[in-house]
Amino acid sequence: MKQKLLPWLLGVGLLVLALAAPLLLQNQQYWLFIATQAYFWAMLAASWALLAGYAGQFSFGHIAFMAIAAYASGIVGRDLGWSPLSGIIFGVLLSGFVGLVIGWLCLRLRRTYLALFTIAFAEIFRLMVNAELDMTGGPMGLYMDPLLNTTSYIPYYYIMLALLLASLGFMYWLANSHFGLFFRSIREDEEAAAAMGVHVVRYKIMAFVVTSMIAGLAGAVDHHFIGFIAPTELIIGRMSLVIAMAVIGGIESLLGAALGAILIHFALEWLQEIPVPAGLMPNLIALAPTLEKFGLGVGDRGLVTNAWRMVGFGILLMLTLRFWRNGLIHPLIERMFRAEARKETVAKRMQAVQTQEQEEVES
Amino acid sequence: MDISGQYLVTLVLNGLLIGLIYALMALGLTLIFSVLGIVSFAHGEFYMLGGYVVYFALERFTNLSPIVAILLAGIIPFLVGIIFERLFLQPMARGEIERPGEYAILVTFGLSFFLQYLMAGIVGPFPKKADRFFDLPTFDLGWIKATASTLTIGGIPFSASRLTAGLIAMILIGAMILFIKRSWTGKALQAVSQDREAAAVTGINPLNMNTLAFGLGAMLAGLSGATLVDVFAWVPWVGVQASSKSFVIIVLGGMGSMPGALLGGLIIGIVESLGAGLFPDPGRALAYKDAFGLLIFAAVLLLKPTGLFGREL
Repeated sequence: MKQKLLPWLLGVGLLVLALAAPLLLQNQQYWLFIATQAYFWAMLAASWALLAGYAGQFSFGHIAFMAIAAYASGIVGRDLGWSPLSGIIFGVLLSGFVGLVIGWLCLRLRRTYLALFTIAFAEIFRLMVNAELDMTGGPMGLYMDPLLNTTSYIPYYYIMLALLLASLGFMYWLANSHFGLFFRSIREDEEAAAAMGVHVVRYKIMAFVVTSMIAGLAGAVDHHFIGFIAPTELIIGRMSLVIAMAVIGGIESLLGAALGAILIHFALEWLQEIPVPAGLMPNLIALAPTLEKFGLGVGDRGLVTNAWRMVGFGILLMLTLRFWRNGLIHPLIERMFRAEARKETVAKRMQAVQTQEQEEVES
Repeated sequence: MDISGQYLVTLVLNGLLIGLIYALMALGLTLIFSVLGIVSFAHGEFYMLGGYVVYFALERFTNLSPIVAILLAGIIPFLVGIIFERLFLQPMARGEIERPGEYAILVTFGLSFFLQYLMAGIVGPFPKKADRFFDLPTFDLGWIKATASTLTIGGIPFSASRLTAGLIAMILIGAMILFIKRSWTGKALQAVSQDREAAAVTGINPLNMNTLAFGLGAMLAGLSGATLVDVFAWVPWVGVQASSKSFVIIVLGGMGSMPGALLGGLIIGIVESLGAGLFPDPGRALAYKDAFGLLIFAAVLLLKPTGLFGREL
């Protein structure tokens, strides 16, 4: 195991970095907030990767499950006076229950049909949230009680990090247990899996329930932190973001999807305004009228990219799908672990060849 | 609420007009499905693109006839469609992609993501709306009368923009059916959709037909967007609703079925119009307008996934 030191060191380094981030970012509350949101997205992307990448259920309703828990928790808090913690538990259970119903309804549907059905489900949910003003606040949104009695971001940061690590650990265990094998067998060939004795119905529904609950947990906790939720969060564009994060990270890798989400979330924040050296700012300001024609802008620190950052991201998504089926981050993780394994294999073969030669010489 | 017979007729006829455009758009999607065997999740974005082409063509060249602008709105999505098909879908048809079913969903979804933000980058987030394409001549014959914006027949009002859109859609649907049924290329498309190998044996290149079908499908979506840009306010996200309507229609009509797309379009147009007009709580009616079609959709998917005229799965 000594040879695998480097990847483990990297992993531990990342973890230490994540744990120490609040100390490093003490004066930059903004980036701490972004990091917390990055963990929220990482939970969504990783759980979607489990549902789509492992179990092959290409659901477009993941954001809806996230929002069901958040709205449920907010509504019981407002109308029944439940504490945020009990609200979150209720919300997560409700998400799991809706996931059960949707999973059960989708049993007969494959691939494209499933994608279409879950889009319809997500859209109906969004329209309902918009229309039922008395319950959800409609387009005005719903205010939610803070989970903790503090204005500091640090406790929330650690809570989201802990939830992310716990859910990743749980999903990792699930994916590598016999459940994971059943999920993958369903993805590859449902009939064959059923013929081999996999209880297809049970595991398909289970995949929906588990991933919905994780999405719901992320949604409920995160919105008790932000303090507000509105139907604009339910638009299909947000679902695209989860999918893009998972695909670019690696759709068949939980860790890849989570790291992809974190990196992409930071990249998108950073790209909002690309910093330009102070010396070049006058040139940029002179260009401002031209840039504005193309939907770009000039801020205090550099180039404001508006929607264009997402355009580049869309191209990256399509290219990743076309040329790097396993995403961009997952192969890096693989290589780090495999490189050592490859060396080991090569060494063993060399040894085998040498002993063979020796035997030949001896005989 | 007082529901008179005339009110019902008004709802049904207005629903039919919008239904014609839905049908035109769904025809494109069903054509793509029947030839390529995939559902394009970027269909609504071609619709959005078509609308913007007309808007900007008319803004730039004020003397341009709206008809020319609409034709332009067919050409540009067609070109975008064939380029995308060549770059991203062709490798799938050649069998170079693992798990093509998933790839097709994700890559067309990626295209929709790209086109949405591309247009958001170019036009900004503020809604645009084109002026009415054609004014009606003003006359009054008692039971039938017209102002520039409205035609009233027997007390039932029709908006001029919607009438124009419905008429253009009808002409385009007719042209498309003629093309598919009568022309050599149209027959080749049909042949490929029925049996790829057999079509290849008779000298049709299925890969070219894939490209053509995707381009034509994108074109039809672009054209339907073009006819509606003077009816609805246009934002880069306008295609999301439109594409979910096309999904509803082709699933209702049966994936890959042309009569299904036509009938499905009309049904959805009428259902939405009646649903919004008859919903007991008018405050919520508009918000729920799009949900009626989606409910039908969910029901069809669950109860009879082959739709009205679909092939067996």
